[in-house]
Amino acid sequence: MKPYLALINIDLKLALRNKSVIFFNYLFPLIFFFAFAQFLGDGLGGRISYIVSMVLVLGILGNGLFGAGMRAVQEREANILRRFKVAPISPIPILAASMVTGWALYLPSVILVLGLAHFFYGMEIPERWFALFALISIGVVAFRAVGLILAAVANSIQESNILIQTLYMPMLFLSGATFPMTMLPVWAQVTAQYLPATYLVTGFQGVFYRQESLFENWPAVLALTATIVLSTFVSAKLFRWEKDEKIAGSAKLWVVGVLLPFFALGSYELWSRDNINKAEALWRDLDRRELLLIQNARVFIGDGRVIESGTVLVEDGKIQGVFDSNAPDSSRWRGEVIDAAGKTLLPGLIDVHVHLAASGAVVASENEYDFEDAMERALAAYLYSGVTTVKSVGDPVQATLRLRDRERSREVQGAELFVCGPMFTTEGGHGTEYFETRPLAIRELVAQQWVRTPLSREESGQQVRKLKAAGVDSIKAILEAGREGMLFNRMDMSILDGIAEEARALELPLTVHTGNSQDMEAAIEAQANSIEHGSSIDETPLATFRRMANNGIAYDPTLSVREALLNLSKGNTKPFERSLLQQIGPLELLLQTLEALESGQMRQRLSQRSLEDELVRAQANLLAAHRVGVSLVTGTDSGNPLVFHGPAIHRELQLWVEAGLSPAVALQAATRNAAALLGAGDRLGLIQAGYDANLLLVDGNPLEDIASTERISLIVYKGGRVERSRLFE
Amino acid sequence: MAAAPPIQVRGLIKNYGSFQAVRGIDFEVHAGEVFALLGPNGAGKTTTVEVLEGLRSRNGGDVKVLGFDPGEQSKPLKDRIGVCLQATNLPDRIKVREALELFSDLYSHQQDSKTLLQRLELQDKQNDFYSELSGGQKQRLALALALINDPQVLFLDEPTAGLDPQARHEIHVLIRDLRSDNRTILLTTHYIEEAEKLCDRVAIIDEGRIIAMGTPKEIRRQTMGHSYIEIHSEHDLPENLPSFDSAEKISVGTDKRSLTVHSTQPARALVELVKWLDQHNVELSDVHLKQPTLEDVFIEMTGRRLRD
Repeated sequence: MKPYLALINIDLKLALRNKSVIFFNYLFPLIFFFAFAQFLGDGLGGRISYIVSMVLVLGILGNGLFGAGMRAVQEREANILRRFKVAPISPIPILAASMVTGWALYLPSVILVLGLAHFFYGMEIPERWFALFALISIGVVAFRAVGLILAAVANSIQESNILIQTLYMPMLFLSGATFPMTMLPVWAQVTAQYLPATYLVTGFQGVFYRQESLFENWPAVLALTATIVLSTFVSAKLFRWEKDEKIAGSAKLWVVGVLLPFFALGSYELWSRDNINKAEALWRDLDRRELLLIQNARVFIGDGRVIESGTVLVEDGKIQGVFDSNAPDSSRWRGEVIDAAGKTLLPGLIDVHVHLAASGAVVASENEYDFEDAMERALAAYLYSGVTTVKSVGDPVQATLRLRDRERSREVQGAELFVCGPMFTTEGGHGTEYFETRPLAIRELVAQQWVRTPLSREESGQQVRKLKAAGVDSIKAILEAGREGMLFNRMDMSILDGIAEEARALELPLTVHTGNSQDMEAAIEAQANSIEHGSSIDETPLATFRRMANNGIAYDPTLSVREALLNLSKGNTKPFERSLLQQIGPLELLLQTLEALESGQMRQRLSQRSLEDELVRAQANLLAAHRVGVSLVTGTDSGNPLVFHGPAIHRELQLWVEAGLSPAVALQAATRNAAALLGAGDRLGLIQAGYDANLLLVDGNPLEDIASTERISLIVYKGGRVERSRLFE
Repeated sequence: MAAAPPIQVRGLIKNYGSFQAVRGIDFEVHAGEVFALLGPNGAGKTTTVEVLEGLRSRNGGDVKVLGFDPGEQSKPLKDRIGVCLQATNLPDRIKVREALELFSDLYSHQQDSKTLLQRLELQDKQNDFYSELSGGQKQRLALALALINDPQVLFLDEPTAGLDPQARHEIHVLIRDLRSDNRTILLTTHYIEEAEKLCDRVAIIDEGRIIAMGTPKEIRRQTMGHSYIEIHSEHDLPENLPSFDSAEKISVGTDKRSLTVHSTQPARALVELVKWLDQHNVELSDVHLKQPTLEDVFIEMTGRRLRD
């Protein structure tokens, strides 16, 4: 042990007497720190952690490759190592001392950078400070080890320079240490996955932005540790005390061997895309933390109040303030300022009734069985349309929960997803008809994902509990007997009660699909939280709506799907002229649908006359519900033929206004009321300090012309500006 | 029974690729002895000592240093010997005292570094950086480091190479001083006077072989080497050269004013020469009587000068 301590002691003393060590360890990171802070300075906010992670990696790279690698070669070339050769020690204490010294010298630099970021730029010290410390330590030692292996195979200072630069330059520019990885071309992103530094960048950012633990970065930690062990072993084997001992060219391949863990990791990451996705997600995290000031906008708060010319301040993903006067002086603002004169700012819209796994097409697409990609795209289409929150009310449960998690971790971009999972119905009930055409072999499996058909009250309770355990946000039950020509078995009331009771006990909101006013009464009886569709085949008695109002049950009329059926029956192609729909596409799906529509094959199956009546009746029922004070929410039933994910909600709002409701009422239904139904009324649906910064800025004034909600100027999702053009990449 | 000699070398062979650097060397160095390997650059001196120090492997022969085989037991061997290598450096910014402390921590037993500093007259320099030391001071520090573990056997590879005469003299004084400690010292040198002045015994090495070995006196005696008398006159010498019984060879210099008489009986030859000079009224400007040196031995045996 004594030789180790003696060598570490002297290495430290010598390092502190060396101006270049001081410069590169302490001054250099500071220069970068302030330079980055200047360049990326606008609305620095949460970006400071991003900069800190870059600077940390730059420091580690320099410390390892130059500090350890270059110095080791210089000591050999200057005949210094030769003196140690006559002493009774092996290379191991010398190598170990170099690694420990590098680490010890680097820590003050970490504290310096973190301290500056904290005190000057208000960066929060990460909760998982130990994970950060451990990752930094493993990183420094691993890069020292890489430096030492380079020194071991280089035959001269020139050679070591070439080797070091060959590793340093790509790592400097491609790892994300100087440019965020997401800004790089694809080839560079692919290359980056093979570079050890890349994993430090994403690892640090993971700790800063997501409170990741060391364990969550296990692939990187494993690869770095493997590199330390391999490098130390190989450096000791190849260690040369004298400059006259030359090493064979083929031995240089050991460098490749030592970096082998990263070839394995890179290949794995390219296959899984985990790290690239993480880098993109982190970049979005960063974006969401930015300071954003939207000024001079007409602000629709969400609860009916309107500020004619207001200013909204966004930071760290949240709305920090809403001002009608005394707004912060934007000229002194270190954030992005958006002038929104002539525009209206709304809370992000909410669609509480969607089926993500269905496409909206008329004909079954070839991707019928491969719906995961389609669901991901649908979720992005909502965000594109200014719908920042959706509730899936009947989709394959596993895929939907997975999608929700991936969106939460920012791995995919899309609206925030609330999940019901499968629909509770009954054998031969509505919802089961979709599987009858499926091959027998997979029908069971498919049904398992899409529906629950409990046979008893007990079974219904069990199934609700299982879904809760799986992570669903609410429960949906179908209560409909259908109509002439399309009859279904209707769920037994005791089973509905069983479902409702268990859902209440587990605090899962219950949504009930109804076909007529009688179903609605039953749903009220079961104490549902919302009634979907209501009735379009009979006039709902005012008494029923009053009971809903009294019991606080929300009403979601889904007028869009009624109109879509009518359009289908008429072969009406007018909706395809909507700009928003054309922007979203995909073109092929629209063309196919248009073709099917024009061919008129759907017409004879549907009675145009009765569908027209149904729409009118549904609109009348909605107006009646509003008049007695029922809490209204907007759902579209998107995924059904001609009800397209995203644009549908704008049409829904228009149909409400056509029904005789004011735009303000419709918009409040799509914002605050919908948020309340989701159980997220404390963070969604309002433009108010402390709420999630989900914002939709539109040209014009939707309070006068509801169609202007489709003229989207800007979407902010959880504090980040949505790059709409990149959503479908 | 006397203890085995601390250094025993038999049939040592060392090749660098196809080049034979050491071609079968035998010698022993006895306890308390100062032994020199003398030879020109590239003769194989450094290679030989580095094999003995455990720094290089060997291709053949038996070697024992303090009873250890340097090829197999280099670590315990290195712990017990002191080595002063040719052409080594320390980091520029290490202080003299720190260097001693550092190296003392690498060995299992140590000498007091204060005493060492005093002995090597470095006590005033102990807080100086290595880069601030003169060549002689650096070499004294190297010696101090070689002594840090109080070694019984000391290897000094070209201890005075590149030093100015004053510094070289200081090192010579130190080596004599060390010898009085009864340490066994093996040094390599290509300075004749160093070997003659400092060493009990010398082995002359050339092209990987020992061509002569013994005390300096013995080596000189082994040779045909003669003393010679050299005179310089004010004027040209007479045409007819003398012939003396005691002279082996008489030669006149190209300037015709100097004369060299080689003889195994220099005293007698001198008497005869003086007589002859007197007879011919030669006016002398200078007279030298010279003994043969190891250099002469070397030249005689190899036909080359040592320093070539």
